[in-house]
Amino acid sequence: MYGGGNTFEATKFDNLAEEDPIKLDEFEARIARGEKIEPMDWMPALYRKQLIRMIEQHAHSEIIGALPEGTWITRAPGFKRKLALMAKVQDEVGHAQLLYSAAETLGKSREQMMQDLINGKSKYSNIFNYPAFTWADSAIISWLVDAGAIVNQLANSKGSYGPYCRALERICAEESFHLKYGHHAVIHLATGSKIQKDMVQDALNRWWPPMMHFFGPPDRVSVHTEVLTKWKVKMASNDEMRQQFLDMYVPKIWELGLKVPDPNLRKNEETRQWEYTEPDWEEFKRVINGDGPCNKERLAVRRTAEERGRWVRQAILVPKAKYVTPLA
Amino acid sequence: MKSLDPRITRWQVDESNRESLEKEHLDQLVTYEVFLQMKEGKAYEHVGIVHASDLDMAFLFAKEQYSRRYTCTGMWVVATEMVTVTEFTDLEENVYDSISTMAAEGNELQSYEVFHLTKRGKQHKHVGQVKAASPEHAQSEAKKHFDDGRPVLNVWVAPSNEFLFSKEEDKVIWSTLHEKTHRDVISYKAADKIKAFKERSQHG
Ligand SMILES: [Fe+2]
Ligand SMILES: [Fe+2]
Ligand SMILES: [Fe+2]
Repeated sequence: MYGGGNTFEATKFDNLAEEDPIKLDEFEARIARGEKIEPMDWMPALYRKQLIRMIEQHAHSEIIGALPEGTWITRAPGFKRKLALMAKVQDEVGHAQLLYSAAETLGKSREQMMQDLINGKSKYSNIFNYPAFTWADSAIISWLVDAGAIVNQLANSKGSYGPYCRALERICAEESFHLKYGHHAVIHLATGSKIQKDMVQDALNRWWPPMMHFFGPPDRVSVHTEVLTKWKVKMASNDEMRQQFLDMYVPKIWELGLKVPDPNLRKNEETRQWEYTEPDWEEFKRVINGDGPCNKERLAVRRTAEERGRWVRQAILVPKAKYVTPLA
Repeated sequence: MKSLDPRITRWQVDESNRESLEKEHLDQLVTYEVFLQMKEGKAYEHVGIVHASDLDMAFLFAKEQYSRRYTCTGMWVVATEMVTVTEFTDLEENVYDSISTMAAEGNELQSYEVFHLTKRGKQHKHVGQVKAASPEHAQSEAKKHFDDGRPVLNVWVAPSNEFLFSKEEDKVIWSTLHEKTHRDVISYKAADKIKAFKERSQHG
């Protein structure tokens, strides 16, 4: 899961002048024709850098995103829900594998990516820095966070980098089960007893603010991304994705008798746009920079897994093996 | 570390460790390329990579990664290092036009698997085997046998004896996939439940 556009970091475009103008033209023409860029092709340094950052953050988000839901596997109500949640979490970890592989084709090693995650140098989707208090939180994550991820992933799967698009096609095919499973679990609670209804409403109240942060800061304050749009790295703006998410899911929330915890949320029928209370972007910044309820725990868990698994990796290592950048 | 997650409390995760973590070269092992046959009689097609220490581990991981959710009829894995890659041509150029034919030199001939990429954005597909003395010779033999004039953008060759091929009797490993309906969208019908709920709310 990955919200896209989730940082305020500026991108420097001034180094484009150093690129070979003829090769740059060919590269842009290829993208304009709708062809994919493959690992062996020439590409501007900025394209490579942005894609590595984006795909790597996406991979980290999948692996960290498995943690809040993974918490609930042992306590999921009933055998069927346990089976489904286990399969879902396994899918997410598999997504991380596919995405790390796609990033590797651009020349960053998996060792380096994991190191950067654990040392806090690279980000992951901010929403996973929040805890899953109850079973209903787990259901809301599977439904709405995955729904948001699908909006983003479907857009990105039409991008220009071949290995990333192919990974996303696989991922999207698997996500449809997550969404349906999550919806099913939420419906069960929302149409159940008073206690169940309250539990799922509380969970929705907790997850709504991070969900509004999920697609990143509003376009008017975001860094300009014209080049990244032209190169089909960024496929939809943060606000476009947020609007699409609201369009698809607010009615589905309402029909279950649940309330969205924002008194100002409504669709303006003239502009065809959703209006809402401006999310607290200061909190977003604070949490993404490390000061959220679960940041420390998430990284500590990854670090522990890395450290405790090290002897296994050492034991099976073939020392004369040669690493070659994966082909496609 | 105290957590809402009982596993983490049990695990005794130490959150005080802030030393920067350094991963050694090859800590994540090397990569293997994975090929799947989606249906009986179809060509094997590249699907991606896995990290592993040897062929057996690569096969095991590949089975989980690439045939866990959707079934297939066969799987091959080979170390990335063993694959020799041609140039990548542009537009409708045929990469075979730039490969010169050569004769076998000295070495004994061995079998190579040959894969073609015919469309950008798609995956390499298996086209057959050749007998050759070296990877370059295998490319030249591939030109002789598999170049039908239609543009091929990129060719991979790798020695057959470096692959792990699934066997006929291995196929049972994919036979229980259809029983795992908890991963199918179809198992989560919602419309009836929502309709019943709406009716109840109206009357109640
Ligand atoms: Fe996800
Ligand atoms: Fe995912
Ligand atoms: Fe998912």
